[in-house]
Amino acid sequence: MKISRRDFIKVSSLGAVATSLGTLAKQSFTQVVPGERDLPYTQQWVSTICLMCPGGCGVLVRTINGRAVKIDGNPLHPVNTGKVCPKANAALQVLYDPDRLTGPMVQKGERGSDGWETISWDEAIQLVAERLADIRVNPGPQAMAFMSGRVRGQMGGLIDRFLAAYGSPNHIRHDSLSIDGERIGNELTIGHREQLAYDWDNCNYVLSFGRAFLEASRPTVRQIRGFSAMRRDRPNRRAKFVQIDTRFSITAAKADEWVPIRTGTDGALALGIAHILIAEQLYDRRFVSEHTHGFEDWTDENGVAHEGFRSMVLREYHPVQVESITGVSADTIIRLAREFANAQPGVACGGRGAVMQTNGVFNWMAIQALNALVGSIEVPGGALVQNRPPYTPWPDLPADTVADAGLAMARFDGAGTREYPLAHSVYQDLPERMLAGEPYPLGALFIYYTNPLFSSPDVNRFYEAIQKVPFVVSFSPFLDDSSAYADLILPDHSFLERLQDDEIEPSLGYAVLGLRQPVVAPLFDTRDTGDVLIQIARAMGGSMEAAFPWSDFSQVIQNRLSGLWAFESGSIRATEFSHFWEELISQSVWSDPPYAFGQWGRVFNTPSGKFEFFSQKLFAQLDKLRGEQAWGEWLAELGIDASGDMAFMPHYEPPRYIGRESEYPFFLNTYKLMTHAEGRGANTPWLQEKLGMHVKKSWDAWVEINPEVAERLGIEDDDWVWIESPIGKIKLRAVLYPGARPDTLNIPFEQGHKHYGRWAKERGENPNWVVASESDQLSGIAAWFSTRVKIYKA
Amino acid sequence: MPHWGMVIDLDRCVACQACSAACRAENNVSFAGPEETALGRAIYWQEVLAEVDGEYPNVRGTFIPRPCMHCENPPCVRVCPVGATYQNEEGLVLQRYERCIGCRYCMVACPYAVRYFNWRAPEWAEGMERYQNPDVPIRPKGVVEKCTFCTHRLPVPACNQACPGNARFFGDLEDPDSVVSQLARSPRAFRLLEDLGTEPKVYYLREGA
Repeated sequence: MKISRRDFIKVSSLGAVATSLGTLAKQSFTQVVPGERDLPYTQQWVSTICLMCPGGCGVLVRTINGRAVKIDGNPLHPVNTGKVCPKANAALQVLYDPDRLTGPMVQKGERGSDGWETISWDEAIQLVAERLADIRVNPGPQAMAFMSGRVRGQMGGLIDRFLAAYGSPNHIRHDSLSIDGERIGNELTIGHREQLAYDWDNCNYVLSFGRAFLEASRPTVRQIRGFSAMRRDRPNRRAKFVQIDTRFSITAAKADEWVPIRTGTDGALALGIAHILIAEQLYDRRFVSEHTHGFEDWTDENGVAHEGFRSMVLREYHPVQVESITGVSADTIIRLAREFANAQPGVACGGRGAVMQTNGVFNWMAIQALNALVGSIEVPGGALVQNRPPYTPWPDLPADTVADAGLAMARFDGAGTREYPLAHSVYQDLPERMLAGEPYPLGALFIYYTNPLFSSPDVNRFYEAIQKVPFVVSFSPFLDDSSAYADLILPDHSFLERLQDDEIEPSLGYAVLGLRQPVVAPLFDTRDTGDVLIQIARAMGGSMEAAFPWSDFSQVIQNRLSGLWAFESGSIRATEFSHFWEELISQSVWSDPPYAFGQWGRVFNTPSGKFEFFSQKLFAQLDKLRGEQAWGEWLAELGIDASGDMAFMPHYEPPRYIGRESEYPFFLNTYKLMTHAEGRGANTPWLQEKLGMHVKKSWDAWVEINPEVAERLGIEDDDWVWIESPIGKIKLRAVLYPGARPDTLNIPFEQGHKHYGRWAKERGENPNWVVASESDQLSGIAAWFSTRVKIYKA
Repeated sequence: MPHWGMVIDLDRCVACQACSAACRAENNVSFAGPEETALGRAIYWQEVLAEVDGEYPNVRGTFIPRPCMHCENPPCVRVCPVGATYQNEEGLVLQRYERCIGCRYCMVACPYAVRYFNWRAPEWAEGMERYQNPDVPIRPKGVVEKCTFCTHRLPVPACNQACPGNARFFGDLEDPDSVVSQLARSPRAFRLLEDLGTEPKVYYLREGA
């Protein structure tokens, strides 16, 4: 059969979309197509998973004679159902980026210099194996730390296993910079340390607290589809979308209502809304009595009386009081509460703006308390708990006393200790510890899929700190900010050249697993980091080698995914695993719909088996670490103002700031755009060229300031200005933006790379040079919005 | 013979610019770079126009994806002195690059600013020429180019295929039962600068209930 591109598109987009294109995708078909030039050419559509962000969209890549030329959505993938965001097509400029590293390199000169020399893979792996073997003996395996980003699929587990076999407790994930506030808030209220999924398609009302719903909150394409569906897919039923945000974002612009709020006070607003829901009896009494714990005043098993959430909220969060905290009028609070209650099913959700604060975990708990009050958890149109694919468990590790000794050591970043009781990682705290050699000196630092010398608050500290680590290895495909200071770079493939599974971020509720696969042969002498870790372990021999009985990462993935095959449910079923794997390769996605609502036993994984207004987990964890200390003293040490039962319930803690208001009168808001691919998009010209469409800015960074404030300060549009905080200053162009609050300056992330490709390097400024490092001690999350700044003409 | 038209629902559109990116990839539109972009020479056959105005806190954002309107009565065709710009039998307004003399009359005549002049020969950074689409010709320096509704891959323009908000619809306006015909009769439907009499074949659906 001959098929023209025009016919193909016709087939793929008319009528039964999913089935027809699905069939084509499965065949991964090859056809000789008559085109207008380059005749004849061989065309293929290869399915894979995008990685321009962690959204996990399924894509079909059109290749012509082995070259990738276009990226469309894969209709079979339920996250994006055949659609893509602008970053997907820009991936062509990542694959063919002229500044990619072409093979492993070793630094022969000083750190950060141009003294790079090529090295063979065999030599490089031998070098790493020897260094790691030495460190393992002296000073010990705990001295090796592995920093990772939002790793995909089995890579997280592979790194964990590598470290466990080696004996290091120090897998430092970057989650404390991004999403741990939500995760920990959920752990405390419903017992799942995960972000939530939401049933947007059946939702009537959205209260979005600082969530970049249409720009940078994952998975964005799923959320855009949900937004569109809420508006127009249901005749005569158009949801209302309320964006509570410090800045007039694209989401705020597209919302039905923008509620400008003082930064860091989202929890108070949520509790003010809760006050009205309770005072006016608008809450779901049945849900609250059946599925929540700690709403009414209660007595514990020891006969101790506790105040309930109802009494506390009625006492503390009258709308007039909340208005004085948030700047949102009491009338608005009352109206939003009534609308929210009357438009159910609806959800309150949040994001980085509300949560990555010194009071972030409590803010998140307060937002979730609204869902508990209206019964919008585990019901259609509500918040859901994502199901995970049924992986085959990892095999046990071989016994090893050296590893056991290392793993018994405290974590380098203080996570899980009295310093950060609920934290799993405290990424932003590394520099001070590296500089001080506390709690112990690091002997080696591995950096994978993250860029600490660009992405950390007070990023300047990392430049000094990294020099204290004797051996730094990067796996980046680019000579980025951090890799530039490594001793050795073992470049990964670009994501369009590698095999990797990619479980979706919580979103649809039911389990979905995508499979990323090479759409073109690797362009350079790069290697999959999963393979490289296995090769290093094997080169080390002994217990390390024994821990990795697989020839390559593909085997690891197949082994883990054999559980999906054995599960005998979901979109791919086969009598033999090899057939399951073939199907998975051709479709790139396995899913197990639909979501079963009302699974209360699974969803509320708490001591009470209910949503906990009073978090028993929080109480128990703090009590365990408290020792003999008095509660008041212990809470104060953690920076918690509240006392008594209130400290364990959703409540408002005043946020902390760095910089005195008299000297630094503005809050600083750093934000992400749709065109921002998690800091990796800066070297893709298509994204640079459309970066700040809303302010007509491209190829540069800028600061948005309220026009009236600017006039008062004598600042005009496009003036050069300094933004100065207690830790530094950066020079930017001013944009007079009516969507800026008078008390807040806004700077987008993306620019200001010191190293990276030709289009990214030395372009604009990175706000992380003025954002001070502040954390929530309870959870270890970075407080991105805690730095005060001033602005003046340059 | 179909008569192609497009409908863009602004209530569904979220100004993500997926349409712009897909268009550039599909139609071999390279990037302009910082200097040329500052001179207004970045080419977008499908651009998302944005305006944020008002006074805090009463601020409004307006975002309009703007492809070529493929006017039924196209002013650009009328002014072209050499017949480079023409309307085909399917109602598409197209450009014959080999005929274009670069006089740019059409750019002045077009009220929607959808036409772009190639001030320079298109450039691809080393290796990036590999993602060129063989189905779409590369335009030389000195000619005008514009959106073709992806004539080489009808009936689904690349912008529509990408759109994550499902905001874009495409089809035959002559067919009264087609989705675009039905949507074009919606009370929310309007066209840009309708009073000019250009009879655009791109319809927008107003935001709001």
